[in-house]
Amino acid sequence: MGDFLQLVRNENMKIYRRPRTWVMMSILLGLVLVISILWLSFGDRNSTSMWEVVFIEASVLFLLVTIFTVVIAAGVVAEEFTTGTIKLLLIRPWSRSKILLSKYIAVMMFAILLAVELFVSTIAVNWLAFGIHADPEAALSFPVPTGGTPVSYLLQYYALTLVSLVVTVTLAFMLSTIFRSGGLAIGLSLFLLLGVNSFVALIAMLDYQWIDYLLFIHLNLTQYLDGNPMREGMTLGYSLGVLAVYYILFIAVTWYVFNKRDVAA
Amino acid sequence: MTQPIVKMVNVTKRIGKRTIIDKLSLDLPLGEVFGFLGPNGSGKTTTIRMMVGLMSLSEGEIYISGHSITKDYEKAIRYVGAIVENPEMYKYLSGYDNLIHYARMIPGITEHRVNEVVKLVGLEGRIYDKVKTYSLGMRQRLGVAQAILHKPQLLILDEPTNGLDPAGIRELRDYLRLLSKEEGIAVFVSSHLLSEMELMCDRVAIIQNGKLIDVRTIRGSFEAGTVSSRVLIEVDSPQGAAQALQAAGYSAALEGGQLIAVETDREGTASVNAALVAAGIKVYGIRTHVKSLEDQFLEVTGGERIG
Repeated sequence: MGDFLQLVRNENMKIYRRPRTWVMMSILLGLVLVISILWLSFGDRNSTSMWEVVFIEASVLFLLVTIFTVVIAAGVVAEEFTTGTIKLLLIRPWSRSKILLSKYIAVMMFAILLAVELFVSTIAVNWLAFGIHADPEAALSFPVPTGGTPVSYLLQYYALTLVSLVVTVTLAFMLSTIFRSGGLAIGLSLFLLLGVNSFVALIAMLDYQWIDYLLFIHLNLTQYLDGNPMREGMTLGYSLGVLAVYYILFIAVTWYVFNKRDVAA
Repeated sequence: MTQPIVKMVNVTKRIGKRTIIDKLSLDLPLGEVFGFLGPNGSGKTTTIRMMVGLMSLSEGEIYISGHSITKDYEKAIRYVGAIVENPEMYKYLSGYDNLIHYARMIPGITEHRVNEVVKLVGLEGRIYDKVKTYSLGMRQRLGVAQAILHKPQLLILDEPTNGLDPAGIRELRDYLRLLSKEEGIAVFVSSHLLSEMELMCDRVAIIQNGKLIDVRTIRGSFEAGTVSSRVLIEVDSPQGAAQALQAAGYSAALEGGQLIAVETDREGTASVNAALVAAGIKVYGIRTHVKSLEDQFLEVTGGERIG
């Protein structure tokens, strides 16, 4: 039955033919440049390690990667409904599940693209700005675990953050499918992500068993990199397990709702 | 009748406690333009949504070319090209990219075919422009283009003349007739514009409050001699003609001026003429007055609006 890759191509076309996608990617690159240039202008160029700036930029700007991907994920299903194009999209010889899957894959490809853009641009820009002249022995204020190199630390950091990104974006994708309204899906996902995350340290201090199962306690996986988890006794494996359960739940609800629901006006 | 392309069996849709569509059964043959007529809110769009799988059926079954729309969707929908309500396209893409988008979803559609369809609907000049710059009529054309891209056997058009100018309507009408006669496909058109349906369709189903009220043949029924119709005859002496016809067993009514009216069928018309000539009445003209669909529609639905 046809070529599934063509569906993904379609979804990619609908993402990358829109100016907003390019605006997002430019903002990300622009901010990397701005932070590095400011650092270069006001910091001490010779005693700064490029890795220091790379880490700072990665930790700050990865939030932006998440926000941008959430915006895309929230729009990808909901906008087909609000513009009415969903009707012409669904009346093709493809099951609804596969159409939804092609959208999900396109969103995940976009998430990875942004993460790669951030990774490559931070390293390239900062290598140009600091790497050439800096003292290679310049001390890092970042605690790289003993025995690890900055690169391996950075890769671990990205891997763990990507896991959280996937879960967050899947949540936005689910909300987009359930509410069929891009604005609501974006608002709710970002509220959960930013709003609840600022309370999460507080909540984590409460001494209830059920808090161990909250999604938001586990979304910040990089807590394990520095070796001090938010709650006593939590391990990386446990957090990944909880996230996996949530992930499966989100996926199941999304596909169920999309397959069952009537497409009315 | 050959194997119907669409077979609807007891199609029922309930939303909550309300029954939107009530046990609708209908067969559509190939090679016919079939109209679906009803007042606003009568269930036309709901029926179309069920035919293309956008809505589930509460009861009953729809078969397209023998494939069940509920159980074998991917096979059944291959035969269908449709516009459901307005032809909504991706506005930030060009018309051409929109068509490529749909072409990719069905194997075997070449670029050549896309260009052919573009020419067919007359959008060559603007096809590379973004859809947001299109007029409603151009969007309607693009909608038709995406619907016929894969040469479907069944073309479903929901209110296709919305937003078209008279020339565009005429063009669409001619094109639909061409498709149904030359290519032998079935065209299913919904509308509340009676006069439009009359010009476009071979048969019309009338639906009201979710129930199928009647299926009528628009064309060819008088010619086939099956139904009686009002025949208007222009004569030199209406009084004399009426008397002559009374004697011959026909009831004639005076229409004023030089006209009389007789209710009869095709064969009867010839006999009436013969009777008049035999009685020495001069006959200047005979024409049949087919009841307009609007008359029939109001007659059948009782002129009632949303119920």
